[in-house]
Amino acid sequence: MASVLKAQKSNAHKAHVVGKGKRKADDMDVDETEIQPKKKRNKQRVLLLSSRGITHRMRHLMNDLEALLPHVKKDSKLDSKSQLHLLPELADLNNCNNTLYFEARRHEDLYLWAAKTPNGPSIKMHVQNVHTMDELKMTGNCLKGSRGILSFDKAFEDTEWGRLTKELFTHIFGVPPQARRAKPFIDHILSFSILDNKIWFRNFQIMEKDPLQPNGPPQTSLVEIGPRFVLTPIRIFEGAFHGATVYSNPEFITPTAVRRLERQEKGMKYGARKDAEEESSKRKEARKRDEDVLAVSKVFA
Amino acid sequence: MERIMELLGEEGLDDFDRAQLVGLAGDDDEEEDDGEEDEEEAGLGEEAISGESGSEEEEEDAEEGDEEEEEENDEDVVALDELEDAELDADAVPQQKVEIDDKIALERIRESIQLDPSLSWTETLVVSYPETIEVDVDDDLNRELAFYKQALHSANAARALAAKHSFPFTRPNDYFAEMVKSDAHMERIRQRLLDEGAGIKRSEEKRREREGKKFGKQVQQEKLKERQQSKKDMEDRLKNLKRKRKGALDNAEADADGFDVAVEDAIADRPSKQSRGRGGKKVSREGRDHKFGFGGNGRRSKQNTKASTDDFEGRRGGFKGGRGGRGGKSGGTKRPGKSKRVANRSKS
Repeated sequence: MASVLKAQKSNAHKAHVVGKGKRKADDMDVDETEIQPKKKRNKQRVLLLSSRGITHRMRHLMNDLEALLPHVKKDSKLDSKSQLHLLPELADLNNCNNTLYFEARRHEDLYLWAAKTPNGPSIKMHVQNVHTMDELKMTGNCLKGSRGILSFDKAFEDTEWGRLTKELFTHIFGVPPQARRAKPFIDHILSFSILDNKIWFRNFQIMEKDPLQPNGPPQTSLVEIGPRFVLTPIRIFEGAFHGATVYSNPEFITPTAVRRLERQEKGMKYGARKDAEEESSKRKEARKRDEDVLAVSKVFA
Repeated sequence: MERIMELLGEEGLDDFDRAQLVGLAGDDDEEEDDGEEDEEEAGLGEEAISGESGSEEEEEDAEEGDEEEEEENDEDVVALDELEDAELDADAVPQQKVEIDDKIALERIRESIQLDPSLSWTETLVVSYPETIEVDVDDDLNRELAFYKQALHSANAARALAAKHSFPFTRPNDYFAEMVKSDAHMERIRQRLLDEGAGIKRSEEKRREREGKKFGKQVQQEKLKERQQSKKDMEDRLKNLKRKRKGALDNAEADADGFDVAVEDAIADRPSKQSRGRGGKKVSREGRDHKFGFGGNGRRSKQNTKASTDDFEGRRGGFKGGRGGRGGKSGGTKRPGKSKRVANRSKS
């Protein structure tokens, strides 16, 4: 009787062990298939730097971006505007695979290069209408380093350059989950919209509860955090900060040209007036009569 | 390809005709492309050159069209062409901006950098808004509203997606961490909001006041009317009281006190100025002068007048108009002479 019992037990044990082993193997299989896609992480790091000669507003904009994006590595200002080929190397040194480079010209125009390093592409954009987070009109706030949602409107899908821009911005402005200082919750949203062939950037805080009715039904509302700016794409290059142009914006007029036109207009106005003055004085001269022989002053001299 | 050629051909012809006919005006296509810049420079352009360059452009454009169509490898050539363009036309005609939109290359590049599509949504957190934004760019309010709508829609979509991926979305109330804006900054924002609210309130009040001034006359009339009304009310109340107390007055003293109280009650609303009165009669002018003093007759009172100069006798009596009241003091109480005073002193 006892032996029978023993045999049963051992059998049961064997069966159990086998079962266990099998399950383990199964688990492993499942794990492997799951791990494989998990290994494909979205790994992004962005080098953020500017050229020399940026104004305070541009600097604040950069600081805002740095505060919003925890995967950004900020570097010191680049000395020369002509040696952009240094940038991929710099990014490589900082283990970054993206670069945001702010280029200030004439202390008033700001250009933004967004590039994938080292192999490109890179987009050059003109930055306008900059409002930073420091402005008191933007009343929202969010966790420092929380991952923001990226929202693109449909216009990005309509054009090829739009699709490329969307992809690039997804890399640069999307915070990867492993970013060191990233927070685990979501409380803001970065929205990109194409309007008038320009990319409009906004950043909103997501409020899930109405502050006026804390106990009411949860209703999402948004409060702007800032910064806000408008990007006009100028060119897209194939490489990182070099290479062939694959897209150029025909509508873009450089701010310098705009200013020149304004000045020219003014100058032309001035020139026209001066010409008219000269003309009229000449005519006056021509109309002048010769001195009369019988003039009163001569007769009674 | 053919279409491009056609288009270019048409434009080229246009240019030619125009150049021949008018000579001054800028080219059609240029105006479309470059706007104001061209118009001015076109004004400067000479007839012959503009005609020539028009034809040149036509050829070059055709070449570019070819190359663009062929492959993306030719991009360098395109760039070169661009340069040539600029050099050729620099003096006469504004350089035409060559639009490059190499879709094939763009697509290839995009595919080369694309993130793995099998990545779960939580890796990128990208949401697409299914509508394009079509508002007037200069209409600030509507534009911002459109952006807001986009963001709101995306936020809701993202929350749904997060729920699907069982991804933490909302920050719990007890999770505190450093914020993007410091507390001091948020305090400033709050203060500003408050200030703004107060400013609005103040201006509203000011406005109301102004309006009140405008209708001041009406207000005054109303006030007068109100006063009359209250007076009438008072009389009515007294009358009522009298009527009620008619019986009581008959057995006079019994509740005289009660009546007084009732009267006081009835009158209570109105301050009785009469009763407070100034009390006592007025003290006479003289009395008050006496009590509080009087400023005197003035400086001139000491000066000589014609009469006083002529009057030699009055000398002894002191000055006529001397200090009030004391002038009359004379006669017996005159001070004795020195020798008498000395003698008196030695006596006593």
